[in-house]
Amino acid sequence: METPDPTHHTKAKIQKEVLSREERQKQFEFQNEAVVHLNALYNYALHLTMNPSDAEDLVQETYLKAYRFFNSFERGTNCKAWLFKILKNNYINRFRKNSKEPGKVDYDLIKDFYHSIKDTRSDTSESETDYFHSLLHEEVYQALHSLPEEFREVIQLCDIEGFTYEEIANMVESPIGTVRSRLYRGRKLLRAQLQGYAKKYGFNTDNSQ
Amino acid sequence: MSAYIDGELSLNDEQEFLLHLSECEPCRTEFEDAKRTKMIIRDKIIQFKAPQALIISIMQLTSFSTVEHEDTIIYE
Repeated sequence: METPDPTHHTKAKIQKEVLSREERQKQFEFQNEAVVHLNALYNYALHLTMNPSDAEDLVQETYLKAYRFFNSFERGTNCKAWLFKILKNNYINRFRKNSKEPGKVDYDLIKDFYHSIKDTRSDTSESETDYFHSLLHEEVYQALHSLPEEFREVIQLCDIEGFTYEEIANMVESPIGTVRSRLYRGRKLLRAQLQGYAKKYGFNTDNSQ
Repeated sequence: MSAYIDGELSLNDEQEFLLHLSECEPCRTEFEDAKRTKMIIRDKIIQFKAPQALIISIMQLTSFSTVEHEDTIIYE
């Protein structure tokens, strides 16, 4: 009868430990670099899909992929931008194919959404009489979503997520000049929309300071 | 103009832009409007929190030992 070689056993065990330490290192790094952006990604997914459960799927898929390819993430670059790009690609592959009509927005859904979820920010001083301050979240959201997608997208990535032009250009696969002009034109369109709301409230926007 | 608002101009271009702004009333007005539009988007678009279930499933996805990671959840 052979007794099992104890050294052999230990070796295997050590190897396993080394492996899992590496894996744990990767996990740790992934948590710190990638998982911290979960909220931002979820919001981005919501904007894209307009549907909470689709958004969840999309985020989940994105993290799965990101984890699998985490080694190819260039350390020191913006991880959030990297994740957004993955999510966007996933979205195109998965949802666009299913012939969801682009640009069609379900305003009732938005409304429900805004009503069902409490604002997570503390409302800062609403004392200003500036007409912009009287705008409702919902209206700004609608105005944003009334823009053609190429404009909405860059505004969102720039103003909400704070990406640089270069990062945005990379994400939407267009030159920086295009990003810049889309931002300019998009904001102009948006302003016109918002002023429409402001007029509704009786604010005079013609000479607003 | 957008580039200035977003802090994307080089120092030289920035100075040139500001100089022009000081001399051009219409541009000044437009600049103020554009700046405000950016602020408004930032302030008024609500950022939702990811649902707890999603957070948990992502955490599980990337960790075998959930215990030691549990308190690292995500506040941006």
